Amino acid sequence: MVDAARHPKVDVRTYTEVERVEGFVGNFQVQLREKSRRVLADRCNGCGECAQVCPIEVPNCFEMYLAPRKAIYVPMSQSVPLIYTVDETACIHCYKCVEACGKLDAIDFDLQDRVTWEDVGAIITATGFSHFDPSVIPEYGYGRFPNIITAMEMERLNNSAGPTAGDLIRPSDGKHPKSLAIINCVGSRDTRFNPWCSNFCCMYAIKNALLVQQHYPDTEITIYYMDIRTPSKGYEEFYARARELGIRFTQGRPSLITEDPETHNLFVHSEDRDLGQVTEREYDMVMLNQAAVAQPDVDTVSSLLNITQSPGGWFMEYHPKLRPMDSPTDGVFLAGACQGQKDIPSSVAQGSAAAARAGRVLHSDEWEIEPVVAVVWEDRCIGAQGKKCGICSRACPYGAIEYEPGKPAQVITAKCHGCGGCVAECPHNAITQMHFTDAQILAQIRALLARNPEEKILAFRCHWCSYGGADMAGTSHFEYSPNERGLRVMCSARMDSDFIYEAFRLGAGAVLFSGCHSQDCHYITGQPVGERRAERLLGQFEKAGMTPGRFRIEWISAAEGDRYAEVINEMQAVLDSIPREQLLEEIERLRPEMEKRARRMREAPQVDEALEFADRLAEAMLVVEPS
Amino acid sequence: MIPDEGNEELRIGVYVCHCGSNIAGVIDPTVVAEYATTLPGVVRAINTPYACADSGQNLIKEDIEKYDLNRVVVSACSVRMHEPTFRAAVSEAGLNPFLMEMANIREQCTWAHGHEPEAALEKAKDLTAAAIAKAAFLTPLDMITVPVTKRAMVIGGGVSGISAALDLGDQGIETILVEKEPTIGGVMAQLNKTFPTMDCSI
Ligand SMILES: Cc1cc2nc3c(=O)[nH]c(=O)nc-3n(C[C@H](O)[C@H](O)[C@H](O)COP(=O)(O)OP(=O)(O)OC[C@H]3O[C@@H](n4cnc5c(N)ncnc54)[C@H](O)[C@@H]3O)c2cc1C
Ligand code: SF4
Ligand code: SF4
Ligand code: SF4
Repeated sequence: MVDAARHPKVDVRTYTEVERVEGFVGNFQVQLREKSRRVLADRCNGCGECAQVCPIEVPNCFEMYLAPRKAIYVPMSQSVPLIYTVDETACIHCYKCVEACGKLDAIDFDLQDRVTWEDVGAIITATGFSHFDPSVIPEYGYGRFPNIITAMEMERLNNSAGPTAGDLIRPSDGKHPKSLAIINCVGSRDTRFNPWCSNFCCMYAIKNALLVQQHYPDTEITIYYMDIRTPSKGYEEFYARARELGIRFTQGRPSLITEDPETHNLFVHSEDRDLGQVTEREYDMVMLNQAAVAQPDVDTVSSLLNITQSPGGWFMEYHPKLRPMDSPTDGVFLAGACQGQKDIPSSVAQGSAAAARAGRVLHSDEWEIEPVVAVVWEDRCIGAQGKKCGICSRACPYGAIEYEPGKPAQVITAKCHGCGGCVAECPHNAITQMHFTDAQILAQIRALLARNPEEKILAFRCHWCSYGGADMAGTSHFEYSPNERGLRVMCSARMDSDFIYEAFRLGAGAVLFSGCHSQDCHYITGQPVGERRAERLLGQFEKAGMTPGRFRIEWISAAEGDRYAEVINEMQAVLDSIPREQLLEEIERLRPEMEKRARRMREAPQVDEALEFADRLAEAMLVVEPS
Repeated sequence: MIPDEGNEELRIGVYVCHCGSNIAGVIDPTVVAEYATTLPGVVRAINTPYACADSGQNLIKEDIEKYDLNRVVVSACSVRMHEPTFRAAVSEAGLNPFLMEMANIREQCTWAHGHEPEAALEKAKDLTAAAIAKAAFLTPLDMITVPVTKRAMVIGGGVSGISAALDLGDQGIETILVEKEPTIGGVMAQLNKTFPTMDCSI
């Protein structure tokens, strides 16, 4: 910790939050808010005279609320930096601290938050994890029975720097416990709460058992476990040592903890697999190893940095095997427990690895980004005719399009991230997106629907989320209807109404419009642009009398492979429920309307050629159709 | 048809990957390749055991010269997996990397329809044909180069953020370590001794 504070190249900004992130790889601008401590960092020497005189005491969250702190405080004596902070929610403004600080004059109640913008080329997210609250498990009685503590409380109680100076005492009477039960998997591997294994609880259960035993050799310690998981180097040996030293391991998940109201001793009811029977044992104290869970503010950080979440709120890596340190956003990397529950050795390793990944960018003078940007066909833009428009410019999440009547719209290429929203929004087919042109996509649609279109589910997926979700379905072998035919664009904002009309005109059985959940959108507000359009289409199709479910809108993240498979299967079920004759009749009935609505798609450059080619392709595809 | 290069004749090469048994265990890639041969613009279509292996990449590179290919379609895995690989391969053979298109017949086909091999085969054909359709209208593009600000930010001052910041600092990169609490250290600073070495946590 102190190394970081001392490092000449590292600028530690504590009590600081990230408020906005703009820009792109190599060129991020980040807005930071350094909250006012009401104490001047360059004057405070950490002597603590102020806290001595402060009359207000509140529970210290650093001590898991087991000890008080003052309204002017440091979380712990080894805080880095060692600067005091006024807790405004507790302070009564008696200003005794100001007096005690005296000549140093470090306390300034007028000190305001400081907002700065920082330019950086790469960002590493290392926001860590949080702890499951075991009071929601009714059968364990945490919060009701004083002698049940959490693992984090144990870490503080049995700690020489902690509130009791390392004395392990029972909260009910201050006595040393003679027996201790440690319960694993509290809220982990429990489908009511969190399905995952929290990774490090088995090891810290053993650690705490050994530490308590070392300190109080006569304590009887039992660890209740479902499985002991010790797969890293030296961990199994650590476990073996604990067994040799007389820690008792009972295989079984306790079903109930009760209390003797007189003694406040606890009775742990549990199966004991070795004995093959249900046991009820009495303990002076119980420690619950609560699950590791995602940070409560994970959604905020996700949307600031466009990082998708895996189930449970862990940040999702670009690829679980090949790029575990990269987030889906170029230039943003992941380290530590925010990406998934992990212990210190793994967190440190990932921190160093993320630094190396970021170093690839930061040691380069230039970085290459994909040229999938928007381009205006100037002769088609009505701006050139002096007309009012600028729809594209309003759709752009990055302010990358300048529009003024009299001139064609101008895309500022360096600002364009390539969502394609402007392309789909332009009513005059005056913009295209490189590598995802109308011509290319319309040709793909024809090919995918060349054979038995009424049996097909044409699925439009955005690159970052739903395409990844479809990959995840495959990787996890979640099977879904093979009648699905996927088509990838960068963002749901690119999913042009014309594509959907054209798909139904060609007789598609069903069409899926699918992208990121709005907080995961890779293009800030691309998804809402897509969503508005999709909702409008849904309304039109309903009015036209399309069978509900043939057009479906779903937001599916790259982690939700099961969801992708489920949605496709549900769409297949809709198709199965419509008698074939009726479906063909409906397709014919709606064709003229689709034709009419899609009529302008041919205006875009190259589309005629593309359709002509696609027709030849479709013909050839049908020739070799197996009988 | 190919706007930037006049009306040059379309010459597409199609490579259908087995991925060992990942694809070939469910469908027969040779059937997909034969099917592709019959489609307009395709002058060469062939199956390959591992498209991403050196042998597979060399096959593509040699074919680009031998058959004078101006578009390449790789029917294999996810673009999230190997798009960079095949872009690099075609570009080494002198073709613009954006003239390569992939069809995902592994994650989004054989892995998802393992129990329906016949339907999976038809889907693989359609996905390959759609990639051919797109490939026909691909245009050569140049990557956009942007300057790099040689400064980093680490958000979160727990043990992982501290190691990242120290490593970046040691690489000579000015790094801002942002922590929302009044002190850095994260959960580790709250711990007693830590496994497996039982040393002090701070
Ligand atoms: C009871 C218990 C005992 C353990 N014992 C051991 C042990 O003995 N050995 C071992 O190897 N592991 C142990 N672990 C695991 C260990 O705690 C983790 O591996 C480690 O803390 C992960 O480090 P981290 O930096 O990823 O996350 P954290 O320690 O959670 O740090 C994240 C930091 O980011 C900050 N932050 C969060 N959000 C933001 C934001 N939006 N902006 C700015 N800052 C933010 C947080 O305030 C925090 O300082 C134990 C865990 C528990 C619960
Ligand atoms: S929406 Fe289309 S027509 Fe309108 S200004 Fe933008 S490019 Fe021009
Ligand atoms: S809307 Fe999207 S594609 Fe269009 S200019 Fe803005 S970022 Fe680029
Ligand atoms: S290219 Fe993809 S599908 Fe083919 S062998 Fe490599 S990993 Fe497998």
